[in-house]
Amino acid sequence: MSSTSPLRNRLPYVAPRIAQAALQRARLTVVPRRRTRAPRVPFVTFVSVILLGGVVGLLMFNTSMQQASFRETALQKQATDLGAQQEALEMDLQALNDPAHVAAAAERLGMVMPTTGAGVLHLGSGEISGDPQPASGEDRLPIEQPGPRKPAELDPAPIKVKVDPLVGADGVPARVQ
Amino acid sequence: MQVGFVFIAMVLSVFAARLVQLQGVDPRSYAKMAAAEGQRVVALPATRGEILDRNGEPMAETVDGRMVVADPKVTAPVAPQLATILSARLGVDYFETLRRLRVEGSRFQYIARQVPASKAEKVVAEIQEQFEDDKGRPFAGLMTERDPLRIYPNHTVAANLVGFLAENGKKGEDAAIIGLAGLEDSFDTYLSGKDGEARYEVGAGNQIPLGDNTVTPAVDGKNVTLTIDRDLQYYAQRVLQQTVQKSGGKSGMALIMDSRAGDLLALADYPTYDAADPSSYPKELYKSSALTDVYEPGSVEKVLTISSLVDAGLAYKEQHFKVPGQLHRQDRPIGDYWDHGTLKLTLAGILAKSSNVGTVLAADQFRPGQLRNYLTRFGLGARTGVGLGGETRGILPQGAAWTSQVGDRIAFGQSLSVNAVQMIAAVNTIANGGVRVDPSLVKGRARADDGTEVGTDVATSRRVISKDAAHETMLMMERVVDPEAGVAPRAAVPGYRVAGKTGTAQRVGENGGYDGSLTVSFAGFAPADEPRFTIYVVVHSPREGSGGGSVAGPAFAKLMSHTLRRYGVAPTGAQPNQTPVEW
Repeated sequence: MSSTSPLRNRLPYVAPRIAQAALQRARLTVVPRRRTRAPRVPFVTFVSVILLGGVVGLLMFNTSMQQASFRETALQKQATDLGAQQEALEMDLQALNDPAHVAAAAERLGMVMPTTGAGVLHLGSGEISGDPQPASGEDRLPIEQPGPRKPAELDPAPIKVKVDPLVGADGVPARVQ
Repeated sequence: MQVGFVFIAMVLSVFAARLVQLQGVDPRSYAKMAAAEGQRVVALPATRGEILDRNGEPMAETVDGRMVVADPKVTAPVAPQLATILSARLGVDYFETLRRLRVEGSRFQYIARQVPASKAEKVVAEIQEQFEDDKGRPFAGLMTERDPLRIYPNHTVAANLVGFLAENGKKGEDAAIIGLAGLEDSFDTYLSGKDGEARYEVGAGNQIPLGDNTVTPAVDGKNVTLTIDRDLQYYAQRVLQQTVQKSGGKSGMALIMDSRAGDLLALADYPTYDAADPSSYPKELYKSSALTDVYEPGSVEKVLTISSLVDAGLAYKEQHFKVPGQLHRQDRPIGDYWDHGTLKLTLAGILAKSSNVGTVLAADQFRPGQLRNYLTRFGLGARTGVGLGGETRGILPQGAAWTSQVGDRIAFGQSLSVNAVQMIAAVNTIANGGVRVDPSLVKGRARADDGTEVGTDVATSRRVISKDAAHETMLMMERVVDPEAGVAPRAAVPGYRVAGKTGTAQRVGENGGYDGSLTVSFAGFAPADEPRFTIYVVVHSPREGSGGGSVAGPAFAKLMSHTLRRYGVAPTGAQPNQTPVEW
């Protein structure tokens, strides 16, 4: 105590308690290291969640890719079918557009292919030049070319049978009214 | 312990040997085998280019089709039943199909090609329902693959030009589809493009996402656009058919050409075939006679002789000629088609009356070789090169073959042979003011399989006779259709000025000599004072007594009238010239 008393006397009288606390703190001692184990559960959970999430995510991603692939295949097939259908319709349209078909349809409506002289109507002046003649249909053009000539075996001459009007073709007497 | 080591060493040696075998000996084939496992290779057929008319109307086009293929390993047990169904539904040959369904050691056989997609799918689906394989699983012996289908929507219209595609495989060979006639043949490579292929990995019938995937895209074929006007071609074929049938003729040709551009607007042959059903017609029809067949042009050629005379300054249209009834030359007398005493004809009269004697007298003024030179410049004796295969060069005698008798006969159109396209291009030279323009069948440009580039873009023109000579010839040709002065009043088109020339030639028959039959023709253009179209009609072997004016003339008038109307060409309003034909 004798050693401390002169120090105390030298210190200003307002500070003794703080100084004492500081002194006390300054007296450090070696303490055993405190071994605190981090809680394992959250970490394991965290890793498991990531792993699980990854696996599930990958699975879902893969599934969705597969789904998309299935869907793509199905849509592709649908597109092909629709394309084929469209082309079939276009083929029909072209068959209708065939000049021979149009000519036949027009002829059924009473029209004729003109073979007579043409005239030109000038819209501005209303004049007609040339020597137009009405298409009469007298000099009718054939609208289709004759079909292929078949060999005689495939195109036999028609067999003509004379049938007695009173006796049927099969020999049974026809009913006479 | 030692035994154990020895055992391990032996096992490792086996592994090492196998490793060397896999990696050292032919590793590529193993890599290929591994890659092929689960990998599918799909051929991507190139779409064949279309053949279009000048307005873009399809003359030949490709639509989605299917090929039906069989796996004989699966189909062999039920081959007869399958062949019955397939031959009935797809129109294939029963016995050939039966053979293919039974081929041993094969797992891929073509059954039918170019079947419309919907039809092929339907037939295969029905067969899959009806049959099952030997283990009771769904039938997998028939499959469909993509195989574009060629269609010809206009059938007989321009079939002579368009041609068709067909399988070239003989019996027992795998079929390849190639162009067999017409433009389909001569532009086969240009139209067909290059096939590609796709390789990808599959699992359960679906493409594996992120799997190996390589695609070599197909390079589609290019389109060929023609100068042909489909509707005009149809009309020309009908008029030609009527003309040939009414005159009792054997065959005929009708050509319509744009006088200025040289575009062939119609090129009709009769008889012709149906491009959509060629097998029903004889093979001789798979061509365009206007290009492949030669004939003697007859009096139409006088136009070339006389225009050359005028161009050379050796004659003029009012020049006076005393034309006797017969002209005695070296081998046999030359006469006219009508009997007459000595006539006083002008040069225009010689053309208008179509006098052989007069033409020979006028042509006497040529220096040796001069007429031949002109005819060569008009394009005779050389292919027109419009792009169709099998075109003939014609026969224009040269050197020693051009004797004075031959020269006399050539002056009025015998003893030389032409094809119809050559002839229309030559006559068109007069219409086009003396400039011969190459005839064209292809609009733009396209490369034919023989390597030549053809089309309107590469067509050339050259001056053959002067503009004045062409005009003077036109004035003389106009007299041909005059009701009093000329021989072909029925070729006149009411309201329009028309210039033309008839032709009635002796025809070379099948025996190689004149057989008494004729080739009658008419070539002309209108409006004469401002030519827009040149038309040429030829009928072979009409009944006796027919002439160019009476048979081909009316057909010319119909075609010209229709063409002028179709393209809205108004009459010029000028009156026909009245150059005297006699003096």
